[in-house]
Amino acid sequence: MSSQHSVKVVSPEQSAKARMAILRRLKFSDVIFENLAKAAAYTVLLLLGGIIISLIIGAWPAIEAYGLNFLTTTRWAPSLKPQPILGALGPIYGTLVSSLIAMIIAVPVGLGIAIFLTELCPHWLRRPISIAVELLAGIPSIIYGMWGFFVLGPYLAVHVEPQLIAFFADVPVLNAVFSGPASNLSLFNASLVLAIMILPFITSIARDVFTTVPPVLKEAAYGAGCTTWEVVWNIVIPYTRVGVIGGVMLALGRALGETMAVTFVIGNAFKIQSSIFAPSTTISAAIASEFAESGGLHQSALILLGLLLFVLTFIVLAAARLMLKQLETKQGK
Amino acid sequence: MSTFTPPRFYNSRKRTNFMAMAACYGATLFGLTWLVLILMTLVVNGLPGISLALFTEMTPPPNAQGGGLANAIVGSLMLTVMGVGIGAPIGLLAGTYMAEYGRHSQLTSVIRFINDILLSAPSIIIGLFVYGAVVVPMGKFSGYAGALALAVIVIPVVVRTTEDMLLLVPNPLREAASALGLPRSLVIRRVAYRAARAGLMTGLLLAIARVSGETAPLLFTVLNNQFWNVDMATSVANLPVTINNFINNPDPNWKQLAWAGALLITFTVLSLNIIARVVGSARNEK
Amino acid sequence: MTTTHQDPSTSASVSGQARPETISVKNLRFYYGDTLALKTISLPLYTNEVTAFIGPSGCGKSTLLRVLNRMYDLYPGQRAEGEVIFEGRNILNKNEDLNLLRSRIGMVFQKPTPFPMTIYDNIAFGIRLYENLSKAELDERIESALMKAALWNEVKDKLNANGLSLSGGQQQRLCIARSVAIGPEVILFDEPCSALDPISTAKIEELIDELKSDYTIAIVTHNMQQAARVSEYTAFMYLGELVEFGQTAQMFTSPQDQRTQDYITGRFG
Repeated sequence: MSSQHSVKVVSPEQSAKARMAILRRLKFSDVIFENLAKAAAYTVLLLLGGIIISLIIGAWPAIEAYGLNFLTTTRWAPSLKPQPILGALGPIYGTLVSSLIAMIIAVPVGLGIAIFLTELCPHWLRRPISIAVELLAGIPSIIYGMWGFFVLGPYLAVHVEPQLIAFFADVPVLNAVFSGPASNLSLFNASLVLAIMILPFITSIARDVFTTVPPVLKEAAYGAGCTTWEVVWNIVIPYTRVGVIGGVMLALGRALGETMAVTFVIGNAFKIQSSIFAPSTTISAAIASEFAESGGLHQSALILLGLLLFVLTFIVLAAARLMLKQLETKQGK
Repeated sequence: MSTFTPPRFYNSRKRTNFMAMAACYGATLFGLTWLVLILMTLVVNGLPGISLALFTEMTPPPNAQGGGLANAIVGSLMLTVMGVGIGAPIGLLAGTYMAEYGRHSQLTSVIRFINDILLSAPSIIIGLFVYGAVVVPMGKFSGYAGALALAVIVIPVVVRTTEDMLLLVPNPLREAASALGLPRSLVIRRVAYRAARAGLMTGLLLAIARVSGETAPLLFTVLNNQFWNVDMATSVANLPVTINNFINNPDPNWKQLAWAGALLITFTVLSLNIIARVVGSARNEK
Repeated sequence: MTTTHQDPSTSASVSGQARPETISVKNLRFYYGDTLALKTISLPLYTNEVTAFIGPSGCGKSTLLRVLNRMYDLYPGQRAEGEVIFEGRNILNKNEDLNLLRSRIGMVFQKPTPFPMTIYDNIAFGIRLYENLSKAELDERIESALMKAALWNEVKDKLNANGLSLSGGQQQRLCIARSVAIGPEVILFDEPCSALDPISTAKIEELIDELKSDYTIAIVTHNMQQAARVSEYTAFMYLGELVEFGQTAQMFTSPQDQRTQDYITGRFG
C-alpha cells in the first residue's frame, strides 16, 4: 500500500532547494510581521505617554498662572477681566462626592446581584440575568444622561427628595446634607445615575471572582450546616476580598471619569454646598460643557482639570489592577 | 426523645439568612428595573420619531418641521468605521505581540498594565488628548480627529481580547504548526488566529459597540455639522453629538429627532453586544 | 552512571551489517534554564527503523525527542549542547534553518492537534506552503497522504468536514497524514497513543509499522508493550541519562542494566 502511493516526485535535494527559496521569502514577511507587532505594542505605551504629555503641555499656562492655588480655590469665573479666576475645588468636590455616594449605593446592590447570580439563581436564569445586567453597561452614557434629565430627575424632585428633606429635618448634621429645595438637577441625581451605570461593573467582576472560590471550601461549610448567607459571609467574601475590592476600585475609576450622564443631571454649578440636592459639577462635566467654547487660560484650566482627573483615575485604576492581579497570583494563574 | 431539637441560635441564623437572601433578590430586581425603565423610556419617546425620513433626510434647521438624521447616521458610520479601521489592526498586532512573541517578557507585563488603565480611562480625557495632539496642530476640528479619538478607545479593548483569546489557544496547536516547518508569523496568522477566531470577533464587536455611542471624545474633536458632509478633513455630523445638541434645545422637532436617534443608537449598541455574546458562546460550546 | 549501553556497533555487527544512521545524536546535553535535563546522550536513529524512547516520567525522553526537530526553540531559556547530525549537518547550529528542518523532520503529538479547518485544508495547508501545485496534483497528494495514514476510506466522502469533527484516533491519523504530506525523512511520535482508546491505538501502531518502510521513526512511549510491539531499537532513559540502548528484542529479554530490568519488570515507573 505504501509503495503504491509514495509520492516523492522531486528528489529530496531538489525539493530542499526549492523549499529554501520559498522559506527565504516567508522569512522576510516573518520579520516584518514580528516588527509590526512589536511596534503596535509600543504604540500602547506611546499612547499613555502621549496623553500625559499632551495634557501637561495644554495645562501648562494654567499651572503657571495658578499653581497650587488652583486646588484650593472654589471660585470659577472664566470671563473675569483682566484675568479669569479659576479654581478646581468645586469640580473636585463634586467628582469625589458624587462617586462616593454612587459607590455607597452601587456596591451593596452590585454584590447582592452577584451573590444572587452565583448562589441563589436557578441555573437556567443565570445567563439571561447576567446578560441583562451587562447590557446596562452597554447603554451609551448619553442615554443615561437623557433618561436622568427627563425621567429620573423630575420623579426624584417630586417623590423622593421632599420626603427625604422632611424626614431628616430634625436630625442635626443630616438636615444640612438633605436640605431643600428639591431640584431636577443635583449632586444626588448624578450620584444615582452613576450608581446605576457602575452597577454592572461591580456585579460582573464580583461574579467572576466569586466563581473562583474552590467548591470544596463551600461544600465543607455547607456540610457543617452553614446557611447560604453564612457561607457567603464567612467563606466566599473573605476568600475573594482582594478581588472584590479590586472590582470596586475599577468601578470607582469609571465613576470618577464618567462624563455625559453626569453633565446632563448635575446642573453645572461651581459651588460647594452642604446639601446633596443642590446642583454641583464634576471635572468631566465641567470639561464637557465648557471646553468647546473656551479659549486661552480658561481652556488651559479645563485641560489642567483633565490632567487632575487622569492622575486621580490612574491611581485608582492602578490600585484596582494590582489588587485583581494579587487575587490571580493567589489562584496560581 | 424522638423530636429533634434544633441547635441554639438556629432560628435567628435562619432569620438572618432569610433577610440577606431577600436583600439579594431585591438587589437583582433593583438592577433589572433600571434596564427596563430606561429601555421603556427610549421606546416610548423614540418610537414615534422612527420613520423612513429619519434615514433619508438631513437634520433640519431649528423650529422647522420634519427632517431626519441621515447626515448624522452616515457621519457616525464613517467615524466608527475609520476609528475601528485604525484601532483594531493596531490592537490586534499589539495583543499578538503580547501573547505570542513577548509572552514572558517584562515589556508585556508593563504593556498589559498600561493597557488596562487605558481601557478604563475616562473617554473625555482621550478627547482632550486628541484635541491637543491633532485638532490644535491642524488648526480645525475634523472627522479625522474624531476617528483617531475613537481609535484610541478601540485599541485597548482589542488588545485585551486579542491577548486573552490567543492565550487560550492550546500550545500543542502552535507546536504542531511549527513542526510542519511553518515560520512563526504563519503559525500565528493561519493557525492561532483561526483557532481564536470567535473570540477575536467578539472583541471586535464589543469594540464597535463601545465606540458607537461615545459622545464625550467627539464633542471637541469633530464637533458636529448640520449639513451633508463626507469630507473627513472637516467637521462631520454624527449621531451622539447631534443628539446632545438637539435634546438640550426647546424645539420639539429637534427633541423628537434626538429621542429617535437615541433609540437607534441604543438598539444598535445592545444588538452588537448580544451578537458578540452569541459569537463568543458559540466558541465555548465547541 | 557507569553502566552503559549494550554497544550499538556490537549489535550491528551481530546482525552482520553496518546500519545507515539518519540521525546521530552525539554528546547531547540539554538545559532548562540552569537545570541539566539531558546528561550527555549519544545514540543513533537507524534509517527506516523504529526507535522507541522509554523510561519513567521526567526521564527526559520527550525532551530528547523535542531536540531532534528543535521544538525547544519556541521557548526561552532552553538550550542544547553537543551534536545532532542530520543530512551531514549539526542541526543544533545556531544558523540552522528551523522551518526547513521541521519540514524534513515531522512530529506527531500526544494529543491530536488538527487545525481548526477542514480535513482537506489540514493537509493542503502544509503542502501549499512549500509547493505550487495544481488542484488536481494537490488532490492527488492529499489522497495519497490520507492513504498512507490509513484514513482515506473513512474520510474520502467528507473532506470538507471540520478536522475537529473526527474521532480522537482519526484526528491522530489526520495529523500523521499532515506530516507525511510534506514529505519528511523522519517522523517523531511523542506518546501518540496516550490519549486514545485501545482500538485506535492498535491502528496507529499498525500504521507506524507500515510507515517505517518510507521513514525513519522515533517514538516516545510510556507503554513498554507498545515499545516492544512497534520498535526495532529501544533507548531506556532514566533521570536524564541514557541507561541502555539496543535492539528491542534483546533489551526486553536480557537487559544489561539493573535499572532497565527493574523498569521493564515494573518495579518502578
